[in-house]
Amino acid sequence: MQAGWADAALEDRDILDLLHKGARDQAFAQLLDRYEHKLYRLCCALLRDTTLAQDAAQEALVRIWRALPNYDGRASLSTWLYAITRNRCLTAMARRRDESAVLDSAADAEQVSVEDVVPDDRSALLNALIGQLPQRYRHVLTLFYYEDRSISEVAAMLAIPEGTIKTTLHRARAALMEKLRRRGLDTPSTWLETNK
Amino acid sequence: MSNEDPTQSMDDAERALDAMLAQALRAPALPIMFRAQLNLALKRATTMERERQRLDDEYQQQLAELESGYLRLRYRTLGTLLGGTFAAGVAVALLMPWFNATFGANARFALAIIGAVVGVGIGTVSWLRRLGYANPLEMF
Repeated sequence: MQAGWADAALEDRDILDLLHKGARDQAFAQLLDRYEHKLYRLCCALLRDTTLAQDAAQEALVRIWRALPNYDGRASLSTWLYAITRNRCLTAMARRRDESAVLDSAADAEQVSVEDVVPDDRSALLNALIGQLPQRYRHVLTLFYYEDRSISEVAAMLAIPEGTIKTTLHRARAALMEKLRRRGLDTPSTWLETNK
Repeated sequence: MSNEDPTQSMDDAERALDAMLAQALRAPALPIMFRAQLNLALKRATTMERERQRLDDEYQQQLAELESGYLRLRYRTLGTLLGGTFAAGVAVALLMPWFNATFGANARFALAIIGAVVGVGIGTVSWLRRLGYANPLEMF
């Protein structure tokens, strides 16, 4: 993890140099090239809704652009960017909770339940089952696969220690396996066949 | 990034699940219009920021003007007070012989009464002006 963060910090040095020179637009352009995909994936993992994620990522990036001249370098750039993005996502989640409290029945109707999924569509079934997992399991599990199984990246994105990420991942997989077992879908051959 | 292979310590079932999860949880691609929409949002934010800056500057300028006006007023008030006191002292010194000749032993009381009348008059005029009435002295 240390090496990963050190590499990221080294990579971001060019952005910091541009910022010190007062070239905010250039620094932001570099930052976009490097981080916009990651920030969008973080939003997708936390919100599980591409439209909401797009809005949240956009709002986060506008905030980042505004705050960029005030970035003091106390935290690494990636940590700072992820923190702003996470906060935007939390705001979006709170807003969605408020809205769904009002439109509870409509929201329920839009949710894809496990029972609605065609049994042959393993991917959709798995997604529906992941949706039933506790939020922190869901976030870690989703980001882990979005970020190409990089624990250090997930740890940085969620500001959680790597050890906790590993434990959460293990528990999330176990919980998912248990859900599959209850549906009689825990035989590896079944899964491997569909993967071929 | 962590270089260890997370599938190393897994059994068959876990490995199969891992493969399925990798398939089900594919990283979403950034929407095509994302950059264009972001640029629009940034443009809007820039305009708003400039407008806010302009309003802020305007407010600061007004505040500075108000402050300097207030200071000027305080200096003028202080000047008026000092000048008035000095003028009153000079007037009393000049008029004292006439007062003594006219009022005799009651000259002090007469002077005090005249002082009080002038003071009340100035106070009344300033209160009337503050309340928006025309300056009564300007009527004459």
